[in-house]
Amino acid sequence: MPKILFIEHNGKEHLVDAEDGKSVMQTAVENMVPGIVGDCGGACSCATCHGYVDPAWQDKIPPKGETEEMMLDGAMNVEPNSRLTCQILMKAELDGLVVRLPASQF
Amino acid sequence: MSAAISWDPYNADLAKDPYPTYKRLREESPLYYNAEHDFYAISRFADVESTLRDKDLFSSAHGDILEFIKARSVMPDSVFIHQDPPKHTAYRALMQRIITPKRMHAVEQDIRKLCARSLDPLIGGDRLDFIANLGAEMPMRAVSMLLGIPEKDQEAIRQSVDDRIRTEAGKPIDIAAQQQLQQEALSGFDEYIAWREKNPSDDMMTELLQSEFKDPQGVTRKLTREEISNIVNVVAGAGNETTNRLIGWMGKTLSQHPDQRREVARNLALVPQTVEEVLRFEPPGPFVAREVMRDIELHGRKVPKGAVMLMLVAAANRDESRFVNGDSFNIHREARPHMTFGQGIHVCIGAPLARLEGRVALEEILKRFPDWEVDLDNAVLSSTSTVRGWDSLPAWIGSRPKNATVSIPKPAAAEAAPAPAAASGEVTLEGTWNVVVKGPTGPQPATLVLEKSGDTYTGSQSGQGSTTPIADFKLTGNKVYWVNHVTKPMKIKVEFTGELNGNVLSGKAKAGFMGSYPFTATKA
Repeated sequence: MPKILFIEHNGKEHLVDAEDGKSVMQTAVENMVPGIVGDCGGACSCATCHGYVDPAWQDKIPPKGETEEMMLDGAMNVEPNSRLTCQILMKAELDGLVVRLPASQF
Repeated sequence: MSAAISWDPYNADLAKDPYPTYKRLREESPLYYNAEHDFYAISRFADVESTLRDKDLFSSAHGDILEFIKARSVMPDSVFIHQDPPKHTAYRALMQRIITPKRMHAVEQDIRKLCARSLDPLIGGDRLDFIANLGAEMPMRAVSMLLGIPEKDQEAIRQSVDDRIRTEAGKPIDIAAQQQLQQEALSGFDEYIAWREKNPSDDMMTELLQSEFKDPQGVTRKLTREEISNIVNVVAGAGNETTNRLIGWMGKTLSQHPDQRREVARNLALVPQTVEEVLRFEPPGPFVAREVMRDIELHGRKVPKGAVMLMLVAAANRDESRFVNGDSFNIHREARPHMTFGQGIHVCIGAPLARLEGRVALEEILKRFPDWEVDLDNAVLSSTSTVRGWDSLPAWIGSRPKNATVSIPKPAAAEAAPAPAAASGEVTLEGTWNVVVKGPTGPQPATLVLEKSGDTYTGSQSGQGSTTPIADFKLTGNKVYWVNHVTKPMKIKVEFTGELNGNVLSGKAKAGFMGSYPFTATKA
C-alpha cells in the first residue's frame, strides 16, 4: 500500500496509507488530515483540496488538466507546484509522495 | 414498536427542531417515502454524498427544489444550478473563473467595513437583532458591491431574489407568482447592466459583460444581457438568503453554548472552525432535491424513474457514523467536511464568500459584543423548500433588565405599567401617523391615515411613492394589527403587529417572507 506524507502548514506531519486508485484528496479526508477540505468530493469544482506537491515528485504525477488550471487560477497562495489533490490518483509508483498544505483552503 | 415516522418539509412545527426526526429517519427509515407530497428522502451521510456525486443518475435538469422538479420546470440554459452537463458545465466553468477565492478575499476589508457599519450604531445599546441589524444587510451589500450595483438599486434586487426562493410556511412554492415577482423587480436591473456596459469597472458585472466562454453548442462568445441577468439573479439570491441564515444560526447557536462562545471571543483564531461547526450543525439549506433518472433500488426498496429524491443535508451532517456525537455542538470536533455546501459538480460556487462573510461577521460581532443571549420569545423562525433560519433573532447584548424573564423588547418600566387604555380615549388612533420601518437597508418612512367609523377602523398607507388602502385593522386592548398590501418597489403583503404605549405605536412589520422588521409610529 503506497504511503503519502502530508505536512500541515504548521509543520505537523501525517504519514497515511493510501489505497490504489483513490485520490490524494480522498486519502487525506478519510484519514482526517486537517487542512484538506474537498467540498466537491473530487469533481474539480471547489479548489478546497489545494496542496503543494514536493518538487521531487513533479515528474511522476500527471500534468494539470484545463479545469484544474482554471480552478487554481482563482485559488489563494498558488505556487508553481500547486495542485488540486483530487486530481492525483494514487498508485504504487507514488509511494512516499510528499504533499505540503496551505495555511488555509478558503 | 414506535409510531411510523413522518417527515413533511412543509410542517412548520417540525421545522422548529427537526433533528430528532432526522435521527429516526437515519436509523429506521434511511430511504423514506412521503406519500402526501410524493417524494423520497435519504438522510445518511454516505447516501447523501454518493447521490450528490452521481450527476447522471440524479439529475438537476428540472432544478434542485421539490416543487420545481415535480412541475418539470425548465429554466434558461444560463440558470446553471438548474441544468445537467454539458449546459451546466459551460456556464459553471465561466462563473468559476469569476467567483474565485482570490476575488472574494480581495474584498475582505470592505466586508469588514460593512459589518462595522451595521454593528457600530448598536454599541452602548442593549439589543441586537442578528437578522435585521446584520444578516439582512451585510450579505446583500457585499454581493452588490462585488457586482458593482449602486446602493439605491440594491434593495429591489434583494426583495426579488429573496421572495423568489421562499415559500409561505406550510405551502409549496407558487412558481408562476414567483416568476412574476422576479420579472417586476428585474426590469430596473436591466438598466443597470446597460449602464455598466458603457461604464466598465473592475467588478464582477464588468467581467460578466466582457468574458468569453464556450457555450453549450461549442460557440465561443460573450454572455447575452439575458444570460447575465439570469446568472446574477441566481448568484445574488443564493448569496443573500443563505448567508443571512448563517449569521442567524451563529447568533442562536453561540448564545446557547456560552462556554464555547467565550473561548472563541478570547481567541479569534478559532473563528474559522467555529463557522464550519455552525455550518454543519445548522445548515441554512437543510435539503436539496434531484430527479431520479432510472429505476433503482436502495435499502431494499424500489425508487422509480422520474421520482423526486430529497437529500437531507441537515440529517447527514449529524450522522453518528461520521461525526461523533453528531447532535452536539463542538467547535473542537474532528476536522471532517460537512455536507452543507453540497457535493459534486453543483457544489456551492459561493462557498468561499459565505465562509469569508461568516468569519468576518463573527469576528466583528465578538469584538464588539463578546456576550449575548438570544431572546427566543421574540424571535421568528421560518422554514421553506430551500432554507431554514431566523427571520428575526433579537438578542440582549448589554444589561438585560432584571425582571425581563419573559424577554420583551422594551424597557422594563413599560412592561410593569398597566396597559394604557388606548381605546378608551387618551390617544385617538384616528388621524395621521408617521411610520418608520427599520428595514434591511435603513429606515423606511411611510404615512398611515386612520379613520374610524363606529368600531371599525379603515385607512390608507403611503410610502415609496404609492398609496394603498390598509385592511383588517384590529384593536384589542392596546394591541393593534393591520395589513398593508404594498405595490412598490414590488407587490408584497406587509403585516403590522404592535402595541400602543402612550402616543407611540411600535412593534413588528412582517413583509411577506422577507422577514420581520421593527417599526415605530408617532402621531403627525
